[in-house]
Amino acid sequence: MNFGDIWNLAILSPMINVLIVMSKYLLNNFGLAIIALTIVIRLATLPLNVKQASATKAMQELQPKLAELQKKYGRADRAKLAQEQMKLYKGSGVNPAGCMVPMLIQMPIWIALFQSIVRVLAVVPEDFLSLSKHLYSSWSMVFSAVPLGSSFLWLDLAVPDRFLVLPLLVGGTMWVQQKMVTPATVDPRQQAQSQMMLWMMPLMFAFLTLQFPSGLALYWVVSNVISVVIQYYVSGWGGLKSTPKTSSKKHFHLASRAEEKPAEGGEAEPESTAATPAPQIELPKKRGLLDFQPWRDRGQKKKK
Amino acid sequence: MNLTRKSRLLVIALALVIIIALVLSSCTGTQTVPRGWAGPAPGDGNLFVASMGGKLVALNAVTRERLYQDVPFTTRQAGGGLSCGPTTVAVAIYGTPVVTSELVYISGYNGKLYANNVKTGASRWVYPREGEMKPIVGGATVALGKVFFGSADGKLHALDAATGDFQWEFKTGDKIWSTPNVAGDTVYLGSFDKKLYAINADTGAKKWDFTTLGAIAASALVTDGTVYIGSFDRYLYALNAGDGSLKWQFMASNWFWAKPLADKGIVYAPSLDGKVYAFKAGSGEKVTEFDLGSPISSSPVLVGGVVIAATEKGELYSLDAGANQKRLIVQLNENINSPLAVSADGIIYVHSVKDNLFAVEARSGAILWNLPLKS
Repeated sequence: MNFGDIWNLAILSPMINVLIVMSKYLLNNFGLAIIALTIVIRLATLPLNVKQASATKAMQELQPKLAELQKKYGRADRAKLAQEQMKLYKGSGVNPAGCMVPMLIQMPIWIALFQSIVRVLAVVPEDFLSLSKHLYSSWSMVFSAVPLGSSFLWLDLAVPDRFLVLPLLVGGTMWVQQKMVTPATVDPRQQAQSQMMLWMMPLMFAFLTLQFPSGLALYWVVSNVISVVIQYYVSGWGGLKSTPKTSSKKHFHLASRAEEKPAEGGEAEPESTAATPAPQIELPKKRGLLDFQPWRDRGQKKKK
Repeated sequence: MNLTRKSRLLVIALALVIIIALVLSSCTGTQTVPRGWAGPAPGDGNLFVASMGGKLVALNAVTRERLYQDVPFTTRQAGGGLSCGPTTVAVAIYGTPVVTSELVYISGYNGKLYANNVKTGASRWVYPREGEMKPIVGGATVALGKVFFGSADGKLHALDAATGDFQWEFKTGDKIWSTPNVAGDTVYLGSFDKKLYAINADTGAKKWDFTTLGAIAASALVTDGTVYIGSFDRYLYALNAGDGSLKWQFMASNWFWAKPLADKGIVYAPSLDGKVYAFKAGSGEKVTEFDLGSPISSSPVLVGGVVIAATEKGELYSLDAGANQKRLIVQLNENINSPLAVSADGIIYVHSVKDNLFAVEARSGAILWNLPLKS
């Protein structure tokens, strides 16, 4: 048995048959079947998602300690800093790379869903002909139920959304999700990584949505919304919390100035240079527009 | 340059690389490209076949010399994603060409029916003359001075066979992928709306319809007043050709995709479950079944009183229900989805998924020649 056979047996065929049956019982609506399947999959992986959301929260809570380490070792001893950070992560049971695990687990599901969609909707005759090999002979209803109807709301689930609504929804919901889980970090490299995840993933998926069948994009939107809900219940709005509008501009100026200072070579003390009511806020040494994270500032205000 | 700026530049560079890669890759699209599976059509010692490169290939069946330069069929296709404009691509052709004394008819997946001069390959007419219809997956049928074909818009179209002028159309409830069959003054046609239709060939008026439990992609066999049609509900139905009443039915383990074949009172029905079922035409009593071990989507042919069936894996079997015998005559080692064709002198022609055309002697199983159609 080669990998293709195992893939078909373990993932693709079950997904195809389950989707067909769900569609049959959900008013013969394939869009509803995709939504229901998404919910089932996310429920099945709920423990993993909750664990990951908790880890993100723990990561956010670790930030003051990480800041201390940064202050203590700074650039002087990078190796020691990394060592101490790892020790801190280990001691707190936090895995910084843990956020990738749920996404990696979902990748086979995306691939199988894409393959299922092009088969059950009879998009191309070759794909549709091969569908017959995946149908369970003991489930008589699946044979007569295909091809499924591809209309759902304004969408043709077999092709990309021509009205560009889905790419916006996919990108938007993913951005919200990423923003919630982005840890407030003072390490510039981690900041850069966080910013990359925050913008790159939504952009990439929005572009992918332009190319893949809308059915797959529908899965992404629903899955993102569920992630947002889970994250909210575990850690609140997290990184999505914004500073009150009245002070946000001032914080921005503060951050910009804070960035200018170290360029001159000195150890910056941004709070002492600011002519705003925010001098007591302990800001990271190097912050720019992309690094601006108001929720952290507000949290520190509360502590004081 | 400090570390933060370096990191930010790195992020921006990475972002640009990914965006460019995505935009460029959108040109290629993510869907399976339709390639076609048209069968060969013998006629007058020649052979006509639509290659998977969207070309009509006309050749001498013995010498393999081209009668004329391959005739390309192309269409404009919208680009994928944001980056690509429309491009010209080859038309996928699923229906077997239909050859008459003057014209050869080609049904394109781009929703056009082409009629070309059989002797020169020159275009005679195209339908529709402007624009395109939904994809045509089944083939065309020429009878009673008309050419009939169905398309994914759910309509059966009838045109004047000589001029391509519109005669009438009949709307079904879903896509049509099957090839119409004409017997007497009636067109028999299956649709994805799960119905088999009997339609008056002159007027386009419905005579009757028969509802199955599954979509129908197979073509009907009409013989001795009975219509045999396979459906995705896994049943083969035998219906009275006059009124559509059910005579008998049989359930297999998978879809019926290929057109059945009848000989000496026995109906041979290939199924995607890998078996060819043989029934007594009148009663539906199962005579035997031949397990060929691989799905059968290719319609079988009759050669000298023996049924020849091809499996998806590329094996050709001769089947004799009377003697309950099957014999592997040749293994082509290339997958087969296309209908088989046979010449008057017992040569079987096979168009493989790899776009090779084989000529096989039915009796011995010898491969006489193998011609790649890719140009």
